[in-house]
Amino acid sequence: MNPAANLAPLPVTGDRSRAALDKVILRLVKGGPERAAIAAGQVDAVMDAKTGKVILFPEARRALEERESQLHDLVELAADWIWQQDEHFRFAARSGAAVSESGLEDADVIGRTLWELPFDNMSAADWQTHRNQLEWRSSFRDLELRYVDRNDNLRYVSMNGAPVFDEQDHFRGYRGTARDITTRKYSEAVLQAADRDARSALDALPIEISVLDAAGTVLMANTACNRPTIEGSRLGAAACVGVNYLALCDNATGNERADASAIANGIRNALAGDGQHFTHEYPCDSPGGQTWYVLNVRGYRDDGRTRAVMSREAITDRKRAEQLLGLDFTATSAVPWTGCEPTNRVSVANRLLAALPYAEYTRLLSGMEPVLLPRGQLLHAAGAPIRHVYFPINGLVAVLATAAPNRTVEADIVGQDGMIGISVALGIDISPVRSLVQSAGTAMRMGAADFRKQLLMNAPLQRILNRYAHAMIVQLAQAAACNSSHDLNSRLARWLLVAFERGQCTELRITQGLMAQMLGVRRVAISGAAGVLQRRNLIDCQRGTVQLLNRRGLEKAACSCYRIIKDRPL
Amino acid sequence: MSRPKNKARASAAESTTIVSMRLYIAGSAPNSRQAIANLEAICREHLKGLYKLEIVDILEQPLRALTDGVLVTPSLNKVSPGPIAKIVGNLSDEGKVLLALGIKKPTA
Repeated sequence: MNPAANLAPLPVTGDRSRAALDKVILRLVKGGPERAAIAAGQVDAVMDAKTGKVILFPEARRALEERESQLHDLVELAADWIWQQDEHFRFAARSGAAVSESGLEDADVIGRTLWELPFDNMSAADWQTHRNQLEWRSSFRDLELRYVDRNDNLRYVSMNGAPVFDEQDHFRGYRGTARDITTRKYSEAVLQAADRDARSALDALPIEISVLDAAGTVLMANTACNRPTIEGSRLGAAACVGVNYLALCDNATGNERADASAIANGIRNALAGDGQHFTHEYPCDSPGGQTWYVLNVRGYRDDGRTRAVMSREAITDRKRAEQLLGLDFTATSAVPWTGCEPTNRVSVANRLLAALPYAEYTRLLSGMEPVLLPRGQLLHAAGAPIRHVYFPINGLVAVLATAAPNRTVEADIVGQDGMIGISVALGIDISPVRSLVQSAGTAMRMGAADFRKQLLMNAPLQRILNRYAHAMIVQLAQAAACNSSHDLNSRLARWLLVAFERGQCTELRITQGLMAQMLGVRRVAISGAAGVLQRRNLIDCQRGTVQLLNRRGLEKAACSCYRIIKDRPL
Repeated sequence: MSRPKNKARASAAESTTIVSMRLYIAGSAPNSRQAIANLEAICREHLKGLYKLEIVDILEQPLRALTDGVLVTPSLNKVSPGPIAKIVGNLSDEGKVLLALGIKKPTA
């Protein structure tokens, strides 16, 4: 509450003698309990219902007056001077210890309004706002005014004020306090200048920079940190002031857990040791593909307190370039595993493209572009038009058939041995199935319309794709037969072998839940079957990954369907 | 046997209804300050947050007190739940206040 507000005159009548007061009480107060309370000395005031005035008892009046004078003293202590204005906002009186040192003469101030005084930091609009405030009779606080005193020194004064009303509720002017804040203003200005320079330099950087305290809470973050966060990704989020970054890393789930715990460890080490440096590159899955970041953390000590400065930079473009370079390398110089490479042509790792004669291959290649397939990307949705066809070079794409609105079962798994969007080659533009990238990789991509045109004038391509379609029919038939007649252990072994082979890898990033979905069984059943294969030392299942330990053993464990599917003719 | 029963019923009523009160005071005069302190203590102990208290300073709002029919300050009006009740003085008699607020039933 503004102390000046307590200086308002009280709506009470003048002093009375005790006897006169008793008479008044007898007249005004009729109730028994009220009179008993008055007799017990428990009452401070009585209202006169006729005049609407408050009659204070002598003890209460003394206490209030005492308190008022105490408040007045306190106000004088807290302020350099206190002031009073009349109803036209003209200064009527000033008092206080520092009036003479204020640099404003009484003669210049008394009789003038605040806006008639030589303050130079307020525009006409500012004064209008202030005057509106006064017209609305609202109190104001920390109105900072600048002026030049008699000795040509720049001075600042901070004013608080509150309106005063008389007993009839008529406005009687304003009262308030003033405090010299010149020293504070000067030191603030010096600090701000230094701070502002450093801050604007930081804000100009495109890199996210933040400072963490010993507990991992973000103390400061530059403007680059304000970029929108990636939905569903904890590590994708930039450091926001007040957030505990260590807790954020510790609570990461799913694919991000490994990176998050590495980052949390790095930050803890950096905070523990002075000058420790930690750097880490990691991807974040986002709707538009993967975003890569490099994170640098360095610990330091500031005034005996431990701090860490953390910088983060998006390096997706660099990473993509690196991967595409790798892709070019794969596309132009790797030996296809079919091993039937014509001597006069550049080979490709996709088995279908590799089977094309050179002339047809180059014609097709001119309409293609290399793309990355991030894990989890949906290439075709079931029932949606096919925009592109894909020839994977590495990685795995699962082709899923819908069994129920929220339940899909794997129909096929495609790696560098096949293509996604074979329906286009058969004259169907709508994808009957859902194609989801299961293991990240790269592919050659072509627009569906271009592809259809190419197909018309490229007989070898037609032939190859016809054979591929036939192979798929064989495989689907075999899979249907297998699913209904073989036990889960051998079916899982068969599926894993096909996946390892088509992905050209010995380690798959896949959860048991997904494997269950692929084979159309319950998750519990998959853990059992995987456990059996693991106990026989054929595979090693760790959290979210399956590693191939013994291919020959796994082939023995798989049902005979594996041979038939593997040797599908092309 | 009847006492604990009564108590249980009283506390059940307490836990469901919110007591709404208005306290009229005269600035920071001694009895007014005493009344606020006493009432706060009673509410903390017996109402445990299930109350609404409005404090009206008759020095600032004399008309408000007049329209509410309050002549003597400090005094406390229980607004709801009914029946409305009024108690005058600095609220130093806790028993009387509890009775007026309907927290304690009168002993037969």
